[in-house]
Amino acid sequence: MSRIESLGTYVPRYRLSGEAVREAWGQFHGAGITETAVPAADEDVLTMAHEAAVRALAGSTVSTSEIERLFVATTTPPVEEEAMGPRLVSTLGLAADTRTRQLTGSTRAGCEALVVAAGEGPSLVVAADAPRGAPDGEHEHAAGAGAFAAVLAPEGTLRIEDVAEHVEAYPGTRFRPAGSTQTTGLGVTGYDRSAFVETVAAAADALAGDPTEANAVALQSPNGRLPYRAAGALGVETDAIQRGTVVHEIGDTGAANPLLGLAGALADGAERTLVIGYGSGGGATALLVEGDGELPVERSGEDEPVQLSYGEYLRIRGDVTPGEPDGGGAYVSVPSWKRTLAQRHRLVAGRCPECGALSFPPEGACGDCGALAEYDELELPGTGTVEAVTTIGQGGAPPEFVEQQARGGAYVSAVVALDGPGGETVSVPVQVVDVDPETVEIGDRLEATIRRLYTQEGVTRYGFKMRPLAE
Amino acid sequence: MRDVYLIGAGQTAYGAFPERSYRELFAEAYERACDSVDRGLASSAIDEAIVGSLGVGGRQLGLSGPAVTEHVGLRNVPCSRIENACAAGGFALRGAVQAIRSGMADVALAGGYEVMSDMSNDVTKYWLGVSGETEWERLTGTTFSGVYAQMASVYLDTYDATVEDLARVAVKNHKNGAKNPKAHLGFECSLEDATNAPAVARPLNLYHCCPTSDGAAVALLASEDVVDEYTDERVRVAGVGAASDRVGLADRDSYVRLAATEAAAESAYADAGIEPDELDLAEVHDCFAIAELLAYEDLGLCGRGEAPQLLREGATGLDGELPVNTSGGLKSKGHPIGATGTGQVVELFEQLTGRAGERQLDEPRYGLAHNVGGSGGATVVSVFENEGVAR
Repeated sequence: MSRIESLGTYVPRYRLSGEAVREAWGQFHGAGITETAVPAADEDVLTMAHEAAVRALAGSTVSTSEIERLFVATTTPPVEEEAMGPRLVSTLGLAADTRTRQLTGSTRAGCEALVVAAGEGPSLVVAADAPRGAPDGEHEHAAGAGAFAAVLAPEGTLRIEDVAEHVEAYPGTRFRPAGSTQTTGLGVTGYDRSAFVETVAAAADALAGDPTEANAVALQSPNGRLPYRAAGALGVETDAIQRGTVVHEIGDTGAANPLLGLAGALADGAERTLVIGYGSGGGATALLVEGDGELPVERSGEDEPVQLSYGEYLRIRGDVTPGEPDGGGAYVSVPSWKRTLAQRHRLVAGRCPECGALSFPPEGACGDCGALAEYDELELPGTGTVEAVTTIGQGGAPPEFVEQQARGGAYVSAVVALDGPGGETVSVPVQVVDVDPETVEIGDRLEATIRRLYTQEGVTRYGFKMRPLAE
Repeated sequence: MRDVYLIGAGQTAYGAFPERSYRELFAEAYERACDSVDRGLASSAIDEAIVGSLGVGGRQLGLSGPAVTEHVGLRNVPCSRIENACAAGGFALRGAVQAIRSGMADVALAGGYEVMSDMSNDVTKYWLGVSGETEWERLTGTTFSGVYAQMASVYLDTYDATVEDLARVAVKNHKNGAKNPKAHLGFECSLEDATNAPAVARPLNLYHCCPTSDGAAVALLASEDVVDEYTDERVRVAGVGAASDRVGLADRDSYVRLAATEAAAESAYADAGIEPDELDLAEVHDCFAIAELLAYEDLGLCGRGEAPQLLREGATGLDGELPVNTSGGLKSKGHPIGATGTGQVVELFEQLTGRAGERQLDEPRYGLAHNVGGSGGATVVSVFENEGVAR
């Protein structure tokens, strides 16, 4: 069987508490959930997938050029048609001959991805999700956001011992109609529970190994109660389920949900974990994973969360914001955007062959010596220092950034000196995110990430932004 | 090369005139400029017209130049429009000077016009923003207020300067603008108001930013060969200099000096054969308060980091050693993009010929105009001399 060499997880920094929802609605339908993670205004499934993948790759001995396959799993892709794979290959710097596959249509997609990747060459599996539901319903109240990534390679310490699946037609338990952004369900409690318990138990039963020996169970958890209902049928202790359940603190992360549970269990020292993804339709995918616990797990976003009021939540989600204003914004055509993707996604700068100075972007005459020569390209490490800074307040944003400001509030626009490989720098204009805007000062150290810049004509431009450098 | 003389200049009031057309505004400025010529000027005498505009909000992107000159009856006079963002008017003046110095024209018109107040806020911001670096800088969500705010952040970090020093620019310029009947925001403001106004882009607040105005301005120039036909008062274009720089701030060597201004000033002073300390007044491009501070230093009026001290001492006030922006500047007089550069020349003409009313200085000899495009991508500096004022 295949081995997992490293894991990365990402959870956005914003949190909405069940209490805040209860204050707004008088009730909260996120059973067993304390709070849910909320993506920032410029985050989506693709940017979260990138974040998790970067962390998994950082802990791996496999270089980006050696990754042969990329599997992306989500139930909420940013657009219904247009694969995420090629963009992630670009942001992550994977090879152009990487085989990319996107799995969707079921919260089981994350576990499905792990199963199809297992037994193949070096692979990167990414599951990211941010489901939504009707404002007053259980799916919305439970909805969280997060991403999981794993590098599968022969040297990995975490073995996928066995996999098994079980499907049985159970229509109507959870579905998202075509064209809708809201996941819903018929809400037939007993029927829904049977669909869940019977399929996950049958999948676990079909494993060659003994699932009851697992000391942690990472079970699909659409809310904080349902996984425990399957303890009896699975023959495991509720303590083991709790060890592999993260839905209480970050909400339902859809396709990433049981895999984030796995990462949590591993961080907790679990040696043998039963992972079961469940998806409506219905079906379950079970994996038995075992390792010595020395797996690199890079996690982010779980420290220092920022609490939102319900009103702030509606803003940040874009539920009550005006959208792109009339009158049009500055226009960067998509073909000209495409021409700069190496810079937007990977900070590819140029070194002047005449004087050795860095230029970003690597085009036009050298800013230092003025030579109009062909640059030697190099990828910058992605760290830098604030040189000049301002906060663009309410009303100060150009039209194409009005929606971002309406959702995310004031933002930081800065000039940042990006570090070169030899102590030299090259300056670029960039937004600074994940920070209180008023606190960003000249001299602050930053690191690059990928975020949404804006969406025009239905096409989202993703590019690098920077945030405070993690210690 | 032949000497060039400023024989007349006029402008509309600056302000929000959503009901007026750009052609009508230009016509008023043109008539006022013609009326200001001592012995009058027939339209048939004009050999060349060069005008500046950002694009009047996109309503007439092409051929707006001929549209305004034909509108005022300049039949078959070659007219070309210069686009250099907010420096369009200054570059139009430079073009007219070149036409006369080269011998191709004896009388030339330099003008500018803009109408944007009839557009929505969003469309206005769109038009203001697309003169910056649009592929990278603009994509951090900035317009010019943001870019100048970034410069201000570095200035305040580098020198002994505070937000209050920025506010002093507004207080001084509003005090002057209150005496200018053409001013868009012709009222005085207190240091407290200007310091504590609502934030626009940290550290800049509302009083650190100029308004967007409608308006038009026209300057009329004549060669030394024909100047006597029009006036006995000799206001000579003593020197003109211009330069450009990287459009995006991040690409520049320094964020607290505009290299284009330094280079343009050096050329203009050399052309005029004077040193900065010989100036009697200056109209500088104070689109944002920080820009006036940088202008003092880039134009050589003081050393690096010394601009706040000039303001604190009142050296650039109306009764200071070197009055700056006696018109009220962009901050108070207003900023109708394409008209701003020639509008500065109108103030210099009035000051140098004793027509500046309540703002009138005591027989100034040398006056300087400083007109910047964008955040410093293009700059024009010109020096005018009243030859009749002896030292």
